[in-house]
Parts: sequence; C-alpha cells; structure tokens
Amino acid sequence: MNAKNTVAPAARQTMYRHPWPVRLWHWWNALAVTFLLITGLLIFNIHPRLYWGEDGHAGMAAVASLSATSLDKKAPRFELQLGSLHWDVSRWMGAIDDEGNDVYVMFAAMPSDFQFGATRMWHFAWAWTLALSWLAYALYLLVGRRFASVLRPTRGDLSWRNVGHEIMEHLRLRRARGAAARRYNVLQKITYLLVLFILIPAIVLSGLTMSNTVTAAFPDLFTLFGGRQSARTVHFIAASLMVLFVVVHVVQVLVAGFVNSVESMITGRYTVPPEESI
Amino acid sequence: MTRIISRRSLIGTLVSSGLLAGCGRLDNAPPANALLQLSDKLTLRAQRLLLSQRPLVRELKAADISAHFPTNGTVLPAGDVYQRLLESNFKDWKLKVHGLVERPLALSLDELRAMPSRTQITMHNCDEGWSAIGQWTGVQLGRLLSLAGPRLNARYVVFHCLDTQEADGVPYYESIDLVDAVHPQTILAYGMNGAPLPVGHGAPLRLRVELQIGYKNAKYVDRIELVDRLTAIGKGRGGWWEDFDRAPWYAGQ
Repeated sequence: MNAKNTVAPAARQTMYRHPWPVRLWHWWNALAVTFLLITGLLIFNIHPRLYWGEDGHAGMAAVASLSATSLDKKAPRFELQLGSLHWDVSRWMGAIDDEGNDVYVMFAAMPSDFQFGATRMWHFAWAWTLALSWLAYALYLLVGRRFASVLRPTRGDLSWRNVGHEIMEHLRLRRARGAAARRYNVLQKITYLLVLFILIPAIVLSGLTMSNTVTAAFPDLFTLFGGRQSARTVHFIAASLMVLFVVVHVVQVLVAGFVNSVESMITGRYTVPPEESI
Repeated sequence: MTRIISRRSLIGTLVSSGLLAGCGRLDNAPPANALLQLSDKLTLRAQRLLLSQRPLVRELKAADISAHFPTNGTVLPAGDVYQRLLESNFKDWKLKVHGLVERPLALSLDELRAMPSRTQITMHNCDEGWSAIGQWTGVQLGRLLSLAGPRLNARYVVFHCLDTQEADGVPYYESIDLVDAVHPQTILAYGMNGAPLPVGHGAPLRLRVELQIGYKNAKYVDRIELVDRLTAIGKGRGGWWEDFDRAPWYAGQ
C-alpha cells in the first residue's frame, strides 16, 4: 500500500476496538479451549486409534493409530499408521509402563495418581462452558449487529484483487497499518466466521454424538456424522484444526504487535499502527 | 482391570508437571469439586430433559454385530467361589434382590430365563473411546423390580458383583437411579449374540443400561440392592470407578 501521509502524527491514534462481550468471551473461551484440548488429549491418549463408521475397537482396521510394535522395556518401538502408510515414530511418540505392559500412550506415561475418570469429568465441565458461552456469544453477534458491522465480509473485501492482496500481505507477515488496521481484513473475517460457525459447532455436535443419551433423543446425529466412531474421528480432526487456528492466531498477534493486541483484548483500546513514512 | 493397574504403576514425566496432573488432584479442592458437581448436575438435568419423551436407544441390525466384541475389565473373576459356580454351570447360583423392597427375591438362572425376555442389538461405548455392537438377551430390570415391589423410599438400584478388583480387593459395584432402572432397554442379560453370556462378558448375568457408558454396565451381577441413598455404598460415590477413579456417576455423556 502506498503511504500517502509522510508526516508522522503528533499523538498516537487509538480506537475502541473490542466491546466488553468480545473481550470476556475471548478469554473465557481461550481458557475453555486450553483445558478441553489438554483433557481431550489425555482422554485420546488411552485409546489412540481413530475409526470410521459405527463401531471401532482394538483389532479393527483404524483410519489412524499409534501402536507398539515392540514392548521391550529398554527399547520399545512405536508405529504411527495413517491409512495404508506406516511410520516408525519411536523417537518422538509412545511410552510403555514399567511392567512392559501393552500400553499405548502418545508422549509419556501417566503419573501414578492420574485419574482417567476425573479427566473426563473436567472435559465435560469445560465442554459446558464452551457450549453455553458460544451460544451467548453467537446471539450477541447476530442480535447485537456486530456480525453485520464487523465480521461479515463486504463486497469490496471479497474482490479477487483484495483477496489476492491480503494473501500476499499475510505471506510476507506484513503488519496492517492505518485505515487497514482499523478493521478486520477479509482473511481474518473468514477465519473467525469458520471457527465460530463451523468449527466450534462441529466440535460440540461430534462430541454430543458420543453420548448415549443425546443420541437416544437425536438419533439423526449418527446419520450426520456417519456413525459414532466417525463422530469421534471428526471430533479429533476438528480439535486439531482448533490447535492450528490457535497457532496461526498467535503468530498473527505477534505480527500485528503482541503488546498492542493483547492490551486491546484486555482494555478494548487499540493503538492504530501509523502508516509507514517513506 | 488391566487398565487401572498399568496406569497406577506408571511414572509420569509430561503430566506430573503442574497443570495436567491437576486433573487428578484439583478435583479434591472444594471450589473445583463444586464446579465438577455443578457440571454433573447440569448434565443429568439436561439429559433427563432430553429423555422426557422416553426415547429408546437406537437398535441395530444383526449384520451390524461386531465380529469380535472386546472384553474389558475383569475377564475371569478370581477365587474359588466363582470357580465353583462356573464348574456347576451356575446351577446353584441365585440372583438376590433385596434392600428396600416389599418381597426380597432369589431367582435361579432358569427362573430368570423363564421370565418374559427382551433381545436388543445395541452399541457398547467404552469411556476409553472404543465401541462394539452386540446382541443382548435378558430380563427387563423394571419387571424384576415390580416383582420385588420397591418401597416408597427406594431411589437407587445397586449392583453387587462377583468379581473382585485387583487394585483394592473390593468386589465391583455400580448403581443407577430408578429412572434409568425402569427404562425398557435396561436389562439383566444372560445371553449374548444368541448364546449364553460368555464368562469374559460377565456370566452368569450382566447389566445392560443402554443409556449409559461402558463401566455402568456391571458384569457378574450377584445381587441387587435397593437403597435410598448412595453414601453407604463403597466410598459413597455410587460405584467402583466413581470411588476409585472419580468417574462420573451419571454417565449418559
């Protein structure tokens, strides 16, 4: 973008960027997602095998799995399988217990007082906070018109020229400045919309499809995902995409200016990076 | 319980450092305990709301039955008592129904088999994450309870089992409330996939509570006790996994 103004502004320009519901939801959701990812990984850890269809258990073909190929206590071997591909991952993943039992854990063995049942309870407790706060936030966005004014891509946003321009800016890790920094760019808008209205609902619905009671009331959930084990696999993939989002999001925060971005998500006030003078 | 034994003897590196291990210990702190109880109550209330039209769990076709249904937990109860029962093909064994009932019962396997039965093909979901489909034949628990006549103050049904847990030497126990107990698909199964219930799956009798997850489906059921509260059972949380591993008591999730 060409810098039009070569005079540095006397005072730094700030704007009120994030109303309190956005800030509250952001941090509350960040906390919930963190705990859900940790507890989710610990739950997955006990049966690191993914299937497609209704049933799936040890001995059945898996879409992806981690398994021990040798239980030699001194040099256990672990294999990661994805479809028909196999990799020896002994150096990075897998652990067995002291007795050399057939235990597939992804990174490290569990401490002696690890409680699997309690881990599941924590997962469900945070799942409630995620689902309920998502519901409140979605209502706020749609009823409170923030969706229309801030998140919905405009016609100009969606022009090929603009999309191409934004992709190049992102690839170069260039910080948005001036007027462009006052609003979300098109890639940002699309990403937030995907996370809010596709990814989180997919995580919640695929999680609910693992519930005996919920599927008794809504058996169509099985049809939606193509079976209970498919739903579990979708749950895992969606959670992985959430990890990917968090990583990209944090990188973008660093590009945009870490202190400024975090500050604006706490106080609401954002310092607009001035246009670069040539 | 191979899973818990190995898990107990494991030494942690990743998880023992702070945050993650908190999952196992934090829940004993009062605020965390309150949060977990709130979450559990919310789950129970929400799911009971979903069950207000009394839906049945989906039943599948014979073609869907898993070729190999994994056995989990105890696969052969230790001790002479079970061995003798097994050798006599459970001829002298009787299911006891007692506690807060008007007419305590003692029913042999033949007597149970002579009662009207229900056969259902359902999916068993383990809390570890795997699923298997099996066909179960047995007596509806609601039918047995109406024979015994629960007293007005009876609220929970406790299942006392023949298998002893290696981890602490305590016989397995589980419990459900009367709402789930009288659900049409809650049965005491003596048959699996058209044959007598195999030892690995809980012979002579196991609970199938299809609205709930694996560990609630107690195997090797020996006696059924009706109680007004769960605090007097085990350590007070209503089941062996609940007491030992802090697993949720209501497990419809």
